Amino acid sequence: MSLLDDPKAAFADLSRPEGWVLGVSVAFVLFLFVAMLTGALGPTYFLFLVGLAGMYALLSFGLNAQWGFTGLINFSVAAFFGIGAYGTALMTASGSPIAGGFSPLVGLAVALVVALALALLIGIPTLRLRADYLAIASLGLAEVVRLIVLNERWLTNGSAGLRGIPGFFDGWPVLSTFPEAMPGLRLEVIPGSPVILETAFWQASLNVLLVLAFAGAAYFVLRRAHRSPWGRVLRTIRSDEDLARALGKNTYSFKMQSFVLGSLIMALAGVFYAHLNLYVGPGDLDPITTFYAWVAVILGGSGSNRGALFGGIVIVTIREGTRFLNDVALPIDPAPLRLLLIGVVIVAVMRYRPQGVLPPQRELIWPSAVGGGGTPETPDSGVRERKGGGDDE
Amino acid sequence: MSEGALPKEDAVLRVDDLQKSFGGLAATDHATFAVERGTITGLIGPNGAGKSTLFNLISGFYEPDGGTVEVNGTDVTGMEPYQVAEHGLIRTFQTPRKLEGMTVREAMLVGPRKQPGESFLTLFTSPGTVAESESANLAEAERILEDFEIDHLATQPATDISGGQMKLVELARAMLAEPEVLLLDEPVAGVNPTLAKKLKDQIRRLNEQGTTFLLIEHDMEFVMDLADPIVVLDQGHVLTEGTPEGVRNDDRVIDAYLGGGT
Ligand SMILES: Nc1ncnc2c1ncn2[C@@H]1O[C@H](COP(=O)(O)OP(=O)(O)O)[C@@H](O)[C@H]1O
Ligand SMILES: [Mg+2]
Repeated sequence: MSLLDDPKAAFADLSRPEGWVLGVSVAFVLFLFVAMLTGALGPTYFLFLVGLAGMYALLSFGLNAQWGFTGLINFSVAAFFGIGAYGTALMTASGSPIAGGFSPLVGLAVALVVALALALLIGIPTLRLRADYLAIASLGLAEVVRLIVLNERWLTNGSAGLRGIPGFFDGWPVLSTFPEAMPGLRLEVIPGSPVILETAFWQASLNVLLVLAFAGAAYFVLRRAHRSPWGRVLRTIRSDEDLARALGKNTYSFKMQSFVLGSLIMALAGVFYAHLNLYVGPGDLDPITTFYAWVAVILGGSGSNRGALFGGIVIVTIREGTRFLNDVALPIDPAPLRLLLIGVVIVAVMRYRPQGVLPPQRELIWPSAVGGGGTPETPDSGVRERKGGGDDE
Repeated sequence: MSEGALPKEDAVLRVDDLQKSFGGLAATDHATFAVERGTITGLIGPNGAGKSTLFNLISGFYEPDGGTVEVNGTDVTGMEPYQVAEHGLIRTFQTPRKLEGMTVREAMLVGPRKQPGESFLTLFTSPGTVAESESANLAEAERILEDFEIDHLATQPATDISGGQMKLVELARAMLAEPEVLLLDEPVAGVNPTLAKKLKDQIRRLNEQGTTFLLIEHDMEFVMDLADPIVVLDQGHVLTEGTPEGVRNDDRVIDAYLGGGT
């Protein structure tokens, strides 16, 4: 049932945590909007934040497809993110030591292919073994990739990083000239504090468009996959792999598919980042990215796509929100404060809501099979009749 | 004379000279027997006789040190469990396996083999086929739950039901995989007498409908009433095979149980 068909029922259908999250999100958006109108938050910077939120959402989507769906422990989120970023940067940047100058679409394709190869490289030897082997191997892989990027200067420019990355839409018809073509706008809602929308703003809105396309596509794919028989096998593997094997499922193949899918989505986040930041360096492969993605997934609720989205947004809010604390005199530096805040959030979630803020739906069956004719005694609402444990996936 | 060597015309499962040792311990010691199509064959033996190990070897969870396993005339020795399952052999586990975060009927839906929706690409290229098969499987799952008289549990969390109900659900789910031969490891261990009777009736009914069973059971009354023939395992090898009557009166079997420290 969609919001448009029956808004009242859709709201009545929300469970308490869902309603809570919705309320806080609406309040938060209003707050940002007011901040923008009063000039406290530049509109271009606001769009940059939306872009970052989309990027973290992609990272958590990817990790959720591995850990949340299948229980695969991947500690190399940063490596796949970095592969995505460097993959496209090396193809497109004017400062690229190997290729450079290609269209960002080529960069995107190359990034995905390299991420695929890397996922297979680490998946083939470890996914047949016990779960902890992947965890250890991925930890090593992250460091190996980072060190290669840092030291192989003929390939990656080393610590200097790659400059001159074009925007993703450079060279596209219409879209490449869109930011310049748009007129500058001056909105004065509150007298005395005008909001000015210029080329940079339109450039940033293109980036938001890109990340919405990436994250929207990823969400669509994951949502469908999660409630399908395919997703059900993954969830069975997560609870009890032997049971899945005994029932005739080729668990190695399913684990590989889940691992590859998640890795490609992480690489997508990297591709977006490179064309947002227009510069990539070895620092972008720091393990902190892996840490953030794990926090986002656990916070949102392992196995839940919406939870991953929520977790990603919370991470960006904490990461960027603490920057504003520079203005306030604090006895503590923002960087450690950020980690402290994240620590407090994790402890609070683990203590009061160990399943995460928006855990997966209680029952995941292909929607039309449950809603449709076959089972009249279990109508649409049967899937979510118990609100205590369940929300949408 | 009959070292598990009753004549079997149409064996759905053949185990020949199977061996497996853990360190110095021969858990399976040249075991040979066959399961005739259409039977409920019992597998008994004192604790530690190697019954569960034998199941693990047959179903591909353990790699045998020697010997062969044949399912439906195909040599499945050394195959992966999912490949053995593809040849029509499904097994359950001694300790019930719980599926966190799933409802009972959802956990049931893991059972059917070769679902179109288990292919990632099909989800996007042909969602109609997926929906169709999912509807059919769901209807079938609910029908089996009804047959088992546990349809009221369908939308309960799979982790919230009793151990005995879990055993019933496991049997029901295994049936959704449409096995030709179903291996049950202690299906009534820890199950109350009422549910145990229900399980017995179900196994008998499913057998009449054509499924062959090989079941390990400690409850002698249960297995003697249900199974024929019965294979007796002791210290990893087949001691004897016969009718419940014959096995009950066999001195070697009595010795094994007394000496085996049950
Ligand atoms: N994975 C294993 N590793 C080591 N020893 C094992 C393993 N599995 C079973 N065993 C040993 O093999 C013997 C047979 O065990 P099992 O097959 O479980 O017996 P049963 O099911 O007949 O009670 C026991 O002595 C047990 O300790
Ligand atoms: Mg046993």
